[in-house]
Amino acid sequence: MSILEVCNLEKHFGDVEVLKNISFSLEKGEALSIIGSSGSGKTTLLRCLNFLETPNGGRILINGNPIFDAADHASRSDEEIRKKRLHFGLVFQSFNLFPQYTALDNVTLAVKLQNKGRPVSEINAEGMALLERMGLADRAGHYPHQLSGGQQQRVAIARALALSPDILCFDEPTSALDPELTGEVLKVIRALAEQETTMIIVTHEMSFARDVSDKVIFMDEGVIVEQGTPEDVFVNPSSERTRQFLSRYGE
Amino acid sequence: MFWTVTLSLFRGMGEALEIFCLTLLFSLPLGLVIAFGSMSRFKPLAKLVNLIIWVIRGTPLMLQLLIIFYGPGLWMENNIWAFSSGRMVACIVAFVINYACYFSVIYRGGIEGVSRGQREAGQVLGMTKSQIFFKVTLLQMVKRIVPPMSNEIITLVKDTSLARVIAITEIIKAGENFIKSDGIIWPLFYTAVYYLIMVGLLTILFNAIERKLSYFR
Repeated sequence: MSILEVCNLEKHFGDVEVLKNISFSLEKGEALSIIGSSGSGKTTLLRCLNFLETPNGGRILINGNPIFDAADHASRSDEEIRKKRLHFGLVFQSFNLFPQYTALDNVTLAVKLQNKGRPVSEINAEGMALLERMGLADRAGHYPHQLSGGQQQRVAIARALALSPDILCFDEPTSALDPELTGEVLKVIRALAEQETTMIIVTHEMSFARDVSDKVIFMDEGVIVEQGTPEDVFVNPSSERTRQFLSRYGE
Repeated sequence: MFWTVTLSLFRGMGEALEIFCLTLLFSLPLGLVIAFGSMSRFKPLAKLVNLIIWVIRGTPLMLQLLIIFYGPGLWMENNIWAFSSGRMVACIVAFVINYACYFSVIYRGGIEGVSRGQREAGQVLGMTKSQIFFKVTLLQMVKRIVPPMSNEIITLVKDTSLARVIAITEIIKAGENFIKSDGIIWPLFYTAVYYLIMVGLLTILFNAIERKLSYFR
């Protein structure tokens, strides 16, 4: 059974339809890349999965259980949404680390708030282990403004992993970074893919998407134009629109 | 003579400090309520609150003092301030309304200044609204509003001198009284020392707070 199934998702802002009839599924351990030009709805799709936007239609299922159904308004209390969104983790384009906490506290804050009974030392040890995986063990006590953009984003990834989400989402994780720092973040994401972390990555890094993903979706104007393996989408795209988009990146 | 003056001005400072402390005590929380009102998603309420803020910030505090103190007696023919400390209460009411409006605008800037991404980061980490407010946004807001608040609070120290228009003997009035009674003017200049000391202490306090919050950006 697919870990994630999205059925006929719709979202509009006023009269503007941002997502139209979005359906796809994801298996456990797979990495899915979503590519497409700016304004194609990629980010909105991720935000819908993380309950930062409420879709106007469609359903979202995790392991076959519906966690969102546009037809069912009852399941939208703050408390329920709070629990359901924990299936997902989200890494933002602009990091959004909490500036008043150290790297380690950024990683452990939510874990501590959700597990009041657990010994703090245990949670801190887990946080340290995550920072170590990100290659940041020596930065645990630094505040975000003392870290480079790449380091901040890696802390943000550790923070998202700390709650062990079923699916980790990345919203253009390297778009705010200069090319030199992009590499260190992509390396971390690549390592996560190798460890079979289930991921959805919205990205403009085409060669990275091609290398790392098991599945690629190309979106344009709110619809999924093409989905398949990286070979399907990058080498043998079936639609003219996809070819156009990819050729611009090839230049 | 020097001690007589010093003591008299000291009593004036007592009145000024009473106005200062009570105004802060009530206007700091009231300002937050007004700030939320002015940002309300219920448009008529937001409009009304913003209208009130415009009127209060747009007219002199001295005028507001006069209206609040003399108004009820003149227009409602019922002087609601006709009790022993009525003057002081009327004064505090005028100051609290005035300063709450100024504070509300500063609070609002602080609240809106914390990026939406901070709240969203808290949300996707499964935090509750109150956890997000207390653990994530509050301190960032406080840091943002310390400089404008310190400005406003220092202004409040000096604005207490306006209370004399409803015959409260604050520092300036106490100093001025010596012109009539003893024909000397130096007590009036001497009042500056009292203000400088109060503002000096506040400046030290606010610098300490700013330093304390400078560990993050």
